[in-house]
Amino acid sequence: MEEPPSILWGLDPIFSAFARLYIQDILQMTESVQIPGIYFYNSHPIYKVDVLGTVVYKRERDNFFCYGVDDGTGVINCLCWKGELLKDKDDGTGTAPAPSDPGVFDPVVELKKLKQAQQKRCRLEIGELLRVRGSVKTFRQQREISASVFYKVDDPLMAVQIQWMMDVPELYRECYDKTFELQSDGHGESAGTPLIKATNLIKDFIKQKSVSRFRPYDVQDLLQPLIFNQLRAASAEPEAAGPSGCQQLRQLLKEVLQILQDEGVVYRRVKAQDEVYHVTEQDKDLLIAVKDIIREDSKREKYSEKGCHVLHILSAVRQRHSLNVSAAALELVLKSLECNSDIVSTSDKHYTAF
Amino acid sequence: MLPPHAVFHFPWELNCLGEGKSVRTFGRLSCYEADTSRATLSCQHASKEHHVFVRTSFVEPFNPIIGAQYLVLGETETYEGFGVMICARVLSCVDGVNIALLQKAIEGQRSFFRERDSFGGGGQHR
Repeated sequence: MEEPPSILWGLDPIFSAFARLYIQDILQMTESVQIPGIYFYNSHPIYKVDVLGTVVYKRERDNFFCYGVDDGTGVINCLCWKGELLKDKDDGTGTAPAPSDPGVFDPVVELKKLKQAQQKRCRLEIGELLRVRGSVKTFRQQREISASVFYKVDDPLMAVQIQWMMDVPELYRECYDKTFELQSDGHGESAGTPLIKATNLIKDFIKQKSVSRFRPYDVQDLLQPLIFNQLRAASAEPEAAGPSGCQQLRQLLKEVLQILQDEGVVYRRVKAQDEVYHVTEQDKDLLIAVKDIIREDSKREKYSEKGCHVLHILSAVRQRHSLNVSAAALELVLKSLECNSDIVSTSDKHYTAF
Repeated sequence: MLPPHAVFHFPWELNCLGEGKSVRTFGRLSCYEADTSRATLSCQHASKEHHVFVRTSFVEPFNPIIGAQYLVLGETETYEGFGVMICARVLSCVDGVNIALLQKAIEGQRSFFRERDSFGGGGQHR
């Protein structure tokens, strides 16, 4: 199977996480042909991992520890660079610092305590439990982990190890063993459910044709292809009683119109039997009404300093223009007016005009 | 350079393993002979007492707490007429561990690997 193109790797949430893979899998991952240093587990691009295991091998140099970590499925070398405090060999392994006066802060004593604490967390012996998070590297044909974070885990009752053993299979089932599917199908179709596709279809139509208002049957036919596809897929199965194509279309349209209203993209100026939807951003009357409200009220002493609060504007618009203007619709109008420099926002929720 | 990984086994599974396998297992320390570097871990299972014999030469000195739960990691050695002994590389006291939960976790992990392998090589195929 081919690798997904590297430009899409960022879409996989696992790519940005420290993947808690078994060491066996980390060792067996295949390296990418597009970008070396990135590896693949089950079509997921991986470059950083999180492991917990027993130290079974140790090598120390001036600048780093190299711990061989065994999690029961594999053993891998972890390169753990020493921070500045650890490099200094003259550290707290000697005498314990004298108990300090509680009121006095002695930096020398505190530094010694800090060095001791760091030693405790970073210097491990064979048999101790180590947690490492870092990036996977191949060095001299051996795979290893270059640690960004590492520390000794105190686990006298094995509670941490047991929990890890129970968590990891779940992570595999929920994430790592599910295939990473990318939506680039070459047709430029927007990804998502029929509802999302339908909403986007209507939005695009309104924008392209600069529609200022419409009735449901004006846009109904746009959704026809979506229903047609669904029916075609369903006809492969034996016939079951269900809603007809027409009913599905009406239902889908109804849901889309509700979403558009909730988002403020459209609103019904007058709620009557004749369903007319006004497109918020194209409604010149609404725009002028909001602009006038802000301009007039900003002159009043009450609002001259801070500007008009968005809720005040909303209540005024509902009195003057239409009761059915939603907060979401108003937000869109205010944004549009602000872009045109007709009004200015004085704070997150206040607007004024000059 | 790196030792092979040590797979978790239950004490009653060790006798069928053979020579040179790297394992991890557990049991209560029932006896320790410092002069011969031999310890015995015991475990109750299916109304039978199972013993794990451990060679402690590489993990000495250690503070033996008779009756406490220990975790041992090492390689199996077979002896004529004696059975299996583990040459320990790691011997840690884990007294207070929830053995039932540990057993459940080990079985859960095994079942996951079996499930994955039955789907043909698991996640290694891209």
